[in-house]
Amino acid sequence: MTTAVLAAATRHTTRDSLRQTFALSKRSTLEILRQPALVAPSLIFPLFFAALGASSFGRAVGKLDGLKDVSSFLEFSLASTLAQGVLFGSTTGGTALATDIENGFMDRLLASPSTRIGILVGRLAGGSVFGALQSIFFIVALYPFGVRIQGGIIGAFIMVLSGALIAMSIGGFMTAMALKTGSSEAVQGAFPLVFISLFFSSAFFPRESMTGAYKAIANYNPLSYLVEGLRVLTLHGLTSQAIAQSLLIPIAIGIGSIALSLRQLSKRLAQQ
Amino acid sequence: MSTTTQKMLPLEPPSVGGSLFASSNMLTLRAIRAIQRVPATFLPTLAMPIFQAVAFAGTYFAITKIPGFPTDRSINWFLSLSGCMGGAFSGLGLGFSAIRDIESGFMDRLRMAPTPRIALLLGPLLSSLVRTFVVLTTVLGVGYLFGARPTQGVFGILMFYLAGFGLAIVATGWGLGLAYRFRDMRGAALMQLTLFLVLFTSSAQAPMSMMQGWLLHVARVNPATNILRLSRQGFLNPPVGGVTWENTWGGLLAIVVLGTLTMWFAYTGLRKLDD
Repeated sequence: MTTAVLAAATRHTTRDSLRQTFALSKRSTLEILRQPALVAPSLIFPLFFAALGASSFGRAVGKLDGLKDVSSFLEFSLASTLAQGVLFGSTTGGTALATDIENGFMDRLLASPSTRIGILVGRLAGGSVFGALQSIFFIVALYPFGVRIQGGIIGAFIMVLSGALIAMSIGGFMTAMALKTGSSEAVQGAFPLVFISLFFSSAFFPRESMTGAYKAIANYNPLSYLVEGLRVLTLHGLTSQAIAQSLLIPIAIGIGSIALSLRQLSKRLAQQ
Repeated sequence: MSTTTQKMLPLEPPSVGGSLFASSNMLTLRAIRAIQRVPATFLPTLAMPIFQAVAFAGTYFAITKIPGFPTDRSINWFLSLSGCMGGAFSGLGLGFSAIRDIESGFMDRLRMAPTPRIALLLGPLLSSLVRTFVVLTTVLGVGYLFGARPTQGVFGILMFYLAGFGLAIVATGWGLGLAYRFRDMRGAALMQLTLFLVLFTSSAQAPMSMMQGWLLHVARVNPATNILRLSRQGFLNPPVGGVTWENTWGGLLAIVVLGTLTMWFAYTGLRKLDD
């Protein structure tokens, strides 16, 4: 009898945890979507850069290494536009968590009988949903300008999934930063690091056309391989290597970043 | 006590010219001291153009291989963009400072001081030029380390400084004008966004001969294209490069016209503060 009661209680707790996590995920998703001033730059600026790049470097297509088998620079840019937008957007979740800490909402959450992991997972899930929506937005927005995904519907789905995973993995770092500092300003201050890491990769121009130290840095930067995977899905179609690069790299980064944020959450809880 | 008071308050009021100079000088010194005391307000202005020069030159290195590109060094092409960006953000920095002064109430005390109102524009303008000099010199030094080499000697470098100072004047007027109108950080976002758009929809990334589509039409009428041409002439190979009147006058005209308009914008904004 006792065993049965305990088992029922455990089932109830697990269900409650899932419900709480879902509620927190919904809250963080709505929180992002209800702030157009925060959301708009991460949608508009990548498109602006894509349009700028297509007009500035369009004549390089077919002439330079890495661009010889490309039909348009805009198609080449879809992968970088997606990665850029999702990376920029991923700071939003971290900033929102830091704001929760600043205004005391986090303390109220911790005081409530809610699951601790749910607080973290809810925040990251909200970022992931936004990352997926951003990816769909970029694919749809560039479609009228002739950008087609050679990987078809499956390729587009993998790109959207990759966008969600990128948002979760980079969001993990931003969450860790928010939990460590408790300052939205510090999380915003980490944004240039994301920007720099993207620029020192092959996101905007092919690695084949780079030389020297810059090429060496791009060779070591995992973002290069992630963007190149997405690029192959756009330009050449489905290949197992492209799918692996698009999905496994953000998963690997995500494992590290979520472990880091869990560690920071434990530290914060220990301080309470 | 009385001796101190006598020292602080001169027996005769200073002349308008003397007061203008002294007040502007003090405001300039205040802004320069802020660099040392609150480096966080100036470091992004310095770091961003350096990062931009290095990152753009590395990322887009291959565009120099396209036939007809006016230099074989990508850093030579992007250094001017960074210099202009540095000058512009040095000017906008004074707009941010003005917003902080308005929010903290310090601007009200400045406005109540018995000094010519124009000193509130001249002081920030002079300090933005000092900041720009620091930024341009640093960008030039870092650019040299990364392989930038002027092709037209000292005159080419002078043109690089001239364009940077010109954009600093334009940006100071624009920044102060928006600061005096918005009076909060909403103005800061608008300052950065507009300047960013104007600079990037010019020949910032690629020469006009390489452009196609909408950007070519926009860049052709964008005055920033002329200012960039003025800045770049000392770093490009002839016939596109070379310190010539043809490469100079458009940029000078753009600076004079935009500088006058934006400083007027700032002056009318300052007068609106009294309303």
